[in-house]
Amino acid sequence: MTAYLEIRDVHKDFSGLQVLTGINLAIREGERHALIGPNGAGKTTLFNIISGKYRPSSGSIIFRGQEIAGKPPHVINRIGMARSFQITNVFHELTVFENVMAGVRSRAGLRYNFFRRPEANSYLVQKVEDILKNVGLLDVKDIPASALSYGQQRALELGIALSTEPEIILLDEPTAGMTREETEQAIKLIDRVTKGRTLIIIEHDMDVVFSLADIISVLHYGTIIASDVPEKIRTDQRVKDAYLGEG
Amino acid sequence: MKAKISLILPIISVLVLLLLMPLVLKNYHLNILTEIIIFALYAVSYNLLLGYAGLLSFGHAMFFGLAAFVTGIAIIHLKGIGMITAIFLGVFSAFLAGVVIGSLLLRHKGSYFALLTLAFNALFYAVATKWHSVTGGDDGLNVPRPELNVIFAKIPVETVPQFYYFTLIVLGIVILFVWFFTRTAMGKTVLLMRENEERMKFIGYSTNLSRLILFIFTGTLAGLAGAFYTLHFRFVSISAISVEMTTVVLLMTFVGGTRTFWGPILGVFVYIILQNYLSDITDRWPLFMGLIFVFMVLFIPGGLSGFIMDMKERVAKKREVALEGNQL
Ligand SMILES: Nc1ncnc2c1ncn2[C@@H]1O[C@H](COP(=O)(O)OP(=O)(O)O)[C@@H](O)[C@H]1O
Ligand SMILES: [Mg+2]
Repeated sequence: MTAYLEIRDVHKDFSGLQVLTGINLAIREGERHALIGPNGAGKTTLFNIISGKYRPSSGSIIFRGQEIAGKPPHVINRIGMARSFQITNVFHELTVFENVMAGVRSRAGLRYNFFRRPEANSYLVQKVEDILKNVGLLDVKDIPASALSYGQQRALELGIALSTEPEIILLDEPTAGMTREETEQAIKLIDRVTKGRTLIIIEHDMDVVFSLADIISVLHYGTIIASDVPEKIRTDQRVKDAYLGEG
Repeated sequence: MKAKISLILPIISVLVLLLLMPLVLKNYHLNILTEIIIFALYAVSYNLLLGYAGLLSFGHAMFFGLAAFVTGIAIIHLKGIGMITAIFLGVFSAFLAGVVIGSLLLRHKGSYFALLTLAFNALFYAVATKWHSVTGGDDGLNVPRPELNVIFAKIPVETVPQFYYFTLIVLGIVILFVWFFTRTAMGKTVLLMRENEERMKFIGYSTNLSRLILFIFTGTLAGLAGAFYTLHFRFVSISAISVEMTTVVLLMTFVGGTRTFWGPILGVFVYIILQNYLSDITDRWPLFMGLIFVFMVLFIPGGLSGFIMDMKERVAKKREVALEGNQL
């Protein structure tokens, strides 16, 4: 398999603060890729650049043969990429159903239409319900997102990311703030619903990372210090020094 | 099905009631009702910005006033112009203003956005004031009501009931369409703008395009209201394009409540009735209106519709509790 998402020499600085100092990463189609590294290493910043929230200071990102660096998020999403957020980022006053419908209808091209009601389209409604069932929120589909429990909001965050049927999905600490048990449940769920897609996940729980990922990349002070299969990462001296040793 | 009937029944009853009004009301009151319908459209369009998209605009009168002037000026200067052409020209000018101003305001948020709309409105007002030869400045323009020809038939719109019916049918249909719009894809996209403009980008929506479409649409609707305003009063002056004309719609919308579609319509009704009543009994009516609004903002921040919805919910809860009590 050839590289599907390729990040070439991406730099990012925020008014002088160098956060990313030359990221190189090649991700193959269907890969489950974990991104680890201590707090403040620049993981979220890298996601923000790949997904179009920020422009890189320099460097290039090729996704499905297209240069996407600096493109706006909605364009990148339509090429087939979706992401979740570390801090829950949903449509609070809208129902769970409407939250997921927003993405489902967007994918179907029903974004700015003045005449068609998405809710009248049984095909779209079915799709929304399938996703809600998948992430375990079908029972609460009619309540506002703000009334969900924390765990349910994390599930909705995942549901929204899935709603545009992305080929590649970026999950930023989907299990943040969860107990051990909840984390295990959540990871099982993530593993199931992202089958057949390329996945990049930022995750802190090392057991989870080592069991889920095909490839693990370690980000440390703005560069990738290692990127390899889990067995190799476990024994990598630089990684041990930089990161694993701490915990 | 049940939900649909509970929606459609009130709409039909209100429509039937409005259609029967000329049989009961004298011309004086029918005129007020015509004005209410015109401002209802103006407020409904404003609430798409304020309540649905969460955008506070202080510039809505520029669309309303521009169309009011263009309609009036077209009637005065284009001999033999028909009613439909005059309205079309007014509405089209508001549409164009929506395109231009919408493009300039795309990226601005919150108080910045509010201030910029205010600045644009002030600019429009200044132009209208200075361009005395065309707009009539402070004196305003007297605008005769042109003939309404639909295909080959001439429809009379001279008398108060005739113009009332004309307004009710045209603007009524448009308001119903706006209501339908709130349930369409674009209508729902407007809610996404209010709820989380950041998140919607990552599921494929261009926030710039969404904002532009909304601005053009609401501007055009306000323009239609403005065109009818000129036709109704047979007069237009700079007050139509003043910042006061924006604050009026803001107040009407706020009084009615922004969280429902019909709230602003109720707000317009209460505002205009109250204004007419108070101005009949005292010269100091603006003072009393002001006091009423201060009271409302302080004690009923959700507006009249918010208050009614709260009451409804409370009654429903009580009923539930009572039912459960019975079962136990
Ligand atoms: N928008 C921003 N402006 C300035 N500094 C930022 C911004 N976003 C992130 N940073 C900084 O970049 C560094 C990396 O942050 P982040 O990418 O969130 O780390 P991680 O997700 O690995 O914990 C931090 O020092 C953070 O303060
Ligand atoms: Mg982070």
